Amino acid sequence: MSEAIRLEDVSKSFGEYEAVKDVSLTIEKGEFFSLLGPSGCGKTTTLRMLAGFEIPTEGRILLEGEPVEDVPPYERNVNMVFQSYALFEHLDVADNVAFGLKRKKVAKDEIRKRVEESLELVSLADRAKSHTNELSGGEKQRVALARALVNEPAVLLLDEPLGALDLKLRRQMQVELKQIQREVGITFVYVTHDQEEALAMSDRIAVMSDGEVVQCGVPEEVYEHPAEAFVAGFIGVSNLMEGIVQGKDKVKLASGQSVKAPLPEGCDKGEKVQLSVRPEKITLDDFERGMVTLEGTVAERVYQGVNTQVTISLGDGASVVALEQQTYRASADDRWEPGAKVKLGWHPDHCLVLR
Amino acid sequence: MRADYWTRFLIPPGVWLLALFAFPLMLVLALSLGYVDDLGRAVYGTDWSNYAEAFNPTYLPVLIRSVGYAAATVALCLLIGYPIAYYIARFGGRYRYALIAALVVPFFVNYLVRTYAWVALLSDEGLVNNFLVNLGLTDRGIQMINTPWAVIGGLTYGYLIFMILPVYASLERMSPSVIEAGKDLYGRPFRTFLHVTLPQTKQGILAGSVLVFLPAVGDFVSAQLLGGPDTYMVGNLIQDQFFAANNWPFGAALTVVMMLFLSIWMIGYLRSASRDARGAAI
Repeated sequence: MSEAIRLEDVSKSFGEYEAVKDVSLTIEKGEFFSLLGPSGCGKTTTLRMLAGFEIPTEGRILLEGEPVEDVPPYERNVNMVFQSYALFEHLDVADNVAFGLKRKKVAKDEIRKRVEESLELVSLADRAKSHTNELSGGEKQRVALARALVNEPAVLLLDEPLGALDLKLRRQMQVELKQIQREVGITFVYVTHDQEEALAMSDRIAVMSDGEVVQCGVPEEVYEHPAEAFVAGFIGVSNLMEGIVQGKDKVKLASGQSVKAPLPEGCDKGEKVQLSVRPEKITLDDFERGMVTLEGTVAERVYQGVNTQVTISLGDGASVVALEQQTYRASADDRWEPGAKVKLGWHPDHCLVLR
Repeated sequence: MRADYWTRFLIPPGVWLLALFAFPLMLVLALSLGYVDDLGRAVYGTDWSNYAEAFNPTYLPVLIRSVGYAAATVALCLLIGYPIAYYIARFGGRYRYALIAALVVPFFVNYLVRTYAWVALLSDEGLVNNFLVNLGLTDRGIQMINTPWAVIGGLTYGYLIFMILPVYASLERMSPSVIEAGKDLYGRPFRTFLHVTLPQTKQGILAGSVLVFLPAVGDFVSAQLLGGPDTYMVGNLIQDQFFAANNWPFGAALTVVMMLFLSIWMIGYLRSASRDARGAAI
């Protein structure tokens, strides 16, 4: 694979405010790449620099090997799908899609052909002559997508494109978007604050916080091996427990109990760390050999349909959340009522020590 | 029952409209069919000769001139007003309301008074000519007052705000990301303006044009103070019937003809313009 985009030490300041700090990333051709983070983390600014709407204060942006940081948007071979769709209300669907090709002075016959093809791609062929204000939110989103894809850009930029849709439509569009991306093979850079969306769709994810990329990797890696407490907390639910390094692969929890935990390189004895365990990795029964086990009291029990969420207080103010599948015992009436003493456990491999 | 409840609030404005708008209009209509008796008093009647006189070809140049001046005023207001509205809407930031207020404040001053100020500026011994003479650019100054340019200038100054406000409103309603989308889709700045911004603000331009054109075509203040015999407009003609010639019935007939002419014209303009807006979309 060759690279589509490379960011080299890119920073962007607005006056005193540093929106993006020293970001370096490489995005491969044909990749579905997500920039994930809470609002104000710099992900949208990064995307806007790729589009050419913002010029980096420092650093270089290479598009297919060529530096583009000073190239205006209308000369860049990238297109954007805007969060608010930004459709041209004075034009019909087909003319919206044809807009970019017309500006590039593509021959009329070819424009017609390519507009038809891309409307076909987003399943809107029958709405070509519709006015944009007759479309539903999902349809507008498809027009915005077709309008960008018809130009066959080197990279397609998407700024929270599904943010305005309701949950069900969103799920459906996620699947569709991924399918379309596979079909056209264009590099997608996708900005979202929705971690589930990023995990479900992306080939790779860059998690951003305070203008910096804190971790970049494939979804499994970002989820299973978060590099920082921020990532562990932002992606999925994580139980974070305070502890002190006691020795080789031993951490003493605040409750005083020592547990086995794989320590990262270069951890010193006495160092303060956080232990992270995903709720679905914690079991309340069926303990196996080698598991870490703790005692606790059930503080809350929430039935969620697919599973049951049990919050367990560990006595020293700390509490952990466990997710139990709806097995026969988990749904039995006499188990895990608030106040009940329980034992909980997890495999040391499933816990992460974060510094 | 709810509908009844809310209909009540229509009664006071309805009465107001009937008494102070519809009734005077009826009086004008009735008067236009009257005649002037030997003592110079207007008498109601059923005399259509005023209308025959109104269509007398001698008045045609006056009508054409009025429409021409008003059209020039609309064009100038658009050329001056659009960029002002654009910069305030797009780059005004938190000062935009202050800037709009600064534009509106001069219009609190009566139009007549403001036009007198223009007289002081443009007259043969006015401020501008004194300045030019002192600079040595000209010996006796330039003839500015009593020219069509002075009249059109006065009209433009008088009605500029009616162009700026609707255009500003339509620009402010437009999402900035639409302009970005235009640029993103390979539209150079001028092309993006032409193909995105301008069509998206068409409603504002239409509204502004109508709001400027209508009062400008019937205006008499600007032509009276800044113009001369060669810049006589319909408004002056009508005013003279009432105050100089003391022929109210003929003045009323001219008013009615003018009103019908402008109504037909405006309806035609707005219909074709809105058809264009739809036509571009379909």
